Amino acid sequence: MLDLVFLAFIGYVLLLGLRRPFLWVLLYVYIDIIAPQRIGYAIIQSIPVSLIAFGAAFGGWLLLDRKEGFRFSLRQGLILALLLYCWWTTGNADFPENAATKWDWVWKALLFALFLPFTLTTRARLEALALILVLSIATIVIGTGMKTVLGGGGYENLKFFVNDNSGIYESSTLATVAIALTPMIWWFTRFGTIFKPQWPVTLFAVLLIFACLMVPIGTEARTGLVCIAVLGMLLLRYVKRRVLFVAGGAVLGLTALPFLPPSYYERMATIAEPGGDESASTRVAVWNWTLEYAQENPFGGGFDAYRGNKFTYEMPVKQEVGNTTSVEFREVTDEARAYHSAIFELLGEQGYPGLAIWLLLHGLGVWQMERVRRRWKDKDDEAEAWIAPFATALQLASLVYITGALFQGIAYQPVMLMIIGLQIGLHNYCKRLDSERAKLAHSERLSPATERARKRAGKTQSPNAVTA
Amino acid sequence: MIDYFALALGHGLMAFALLHLVMRESLDADPLLGRLKDTLEQRRKEASVAGRNARRREAELEAEARDGQILRSGEENGP
Repeated sequence: MLDLVFLAFIGYVLLLGLRRPFLWVLLYVYIDIIAPQRIGYAIIQSIPVSLIAFGAAFGGWLLLDRKEGFRFSLRQGLILALLLYCWWTTGNADFPENAATKWDWVWKALLFALFLPFTLTTRARLEALALILVLSIATIVIGTGMKTVLGGGGYENLKFFVNDNSGIYESSTLATVAIALTPMIWWFTRFGTIFKPQWPVTLFAVLLIFACLMVPIGTEARTGLVCIAVLGMLLLRYVKRRVLFVAGGAVLGLTALPFLPPSYYERMATIAEPGGDESASTRVAVWNWTLEYAQENPFGGGFDAYRGNKFTYEMPVKQEVGNTTSVEFREVTDEARAYHSAIFELLGEQGYPGLAIWLLLHGLGVWQMERVRRRWKDKDDEAEAWIAPFATALQLASLVYITGALFQGIAYQPVMLMIIGLQIGLHNYCKRLDSERAKLAHSERLSPATERARKRAGKTQSPNAVTA
Repeated sequence: MIDYFALALGHGLMAFALLHLVMRESLDADPLLGRLKDTLEQRRKEASVAGRNARRREAELEAEARDGQILRSGEENGP
């Protein structure tokens, strides 16, 4: 039954796309995030829905789209460079089979991020993509938030639609992406044109943001808590009443404390004491190993190069006997531990060139969004007032994602690559607006009406000039 | 039950949004960019028409001046 509902929805969008082919791009975004073929358990698993959607999106754009303002940006060049470099390292990988498995999804995510900005030529398309991103994540987050509030949370206990701990359905990744998208959710309460900014939209947005904040609590993802803290600090730049904002945040946090389970406190305590938890303590060991590995392999070891690591370290193990708790340090030998950081993931897999491309890709995004924000922040006209806040939301999404990526191997996260696509799309759109305005100003200078006005002004000014 | 509710709500909102989008002309042609382009096009047309008119007026004035000169010289050389 569920399969039929998913197939009906996909069929519905394919049908609508016959009139507006851009909707097929949105269909691919939906399928890539929610992965209905992994939620369903019968017929949908045998249909290549993702391939169909990508074929429709690309074919629709190639054959039917107007392709107005087509441009290949510098950041698309960086995505292409990263894609080609990953292809090269996959061919020379330390673990070819594992590398090929990861390459199989990474190239698709990078290719789609490369393609996406070509389709984002209008304000409505930028908003539509942002909305489908938010609603796709919301579909996962709403259930997560409700289960947390109703008491079904816990580390690796909270059940999602898909429980294979991969992609967006990995708890820390979901927490990072959900927190990263909260400024975008709020943007819709002020500037949305598909769902007009009215009280039902605001109410939905408030509840959805609450659900997003519940994800790190429900999943006990430490990274999520760090992301919330970083987002809170970044928001201080934009809020008008900073003292009230800080006080409100503190009150909200303190009010939530009694409702949190003891397991949450125990897990969060390991943020400050990484030695107390295996996952946290191995990170430092893996990072050190990666730095040494990069010295020997500066061009990277291909995807999943971490499988070659092995190290021994001491970890405190608590033992409770009656009322006494003793701590014993035991030697733990670990091997093939994942990077637990996008920075080290890139360094180990793609070497210094890959890391440089990735950092440049994200750094340029933050800088470009800052430039767009500054350039358009004083616009009051409805047609342009949305631009600066949109750039701010995308910039915050990037910064929160980078924060989360410091502690997770999510360098090629498809949702964040789509955010990059949105940033490039917005930047191109603003450049087109500026370009049209420049042409207009140029034509104004050359127009006969302006010339006559200038002559008239010159004639009336000349006597004054003499008297002066 | 919660999962079904979340799936229904998310898909319902997406279905509505997509239906709304399919009816919007602005999805494929941006109104603001369109306005700017139209204004530019109009300016160009105006410029070209005005230019033609100005050239025609100049030619007419020159012709009138020539005719006036001929008439004046005719009167001077008259009976």
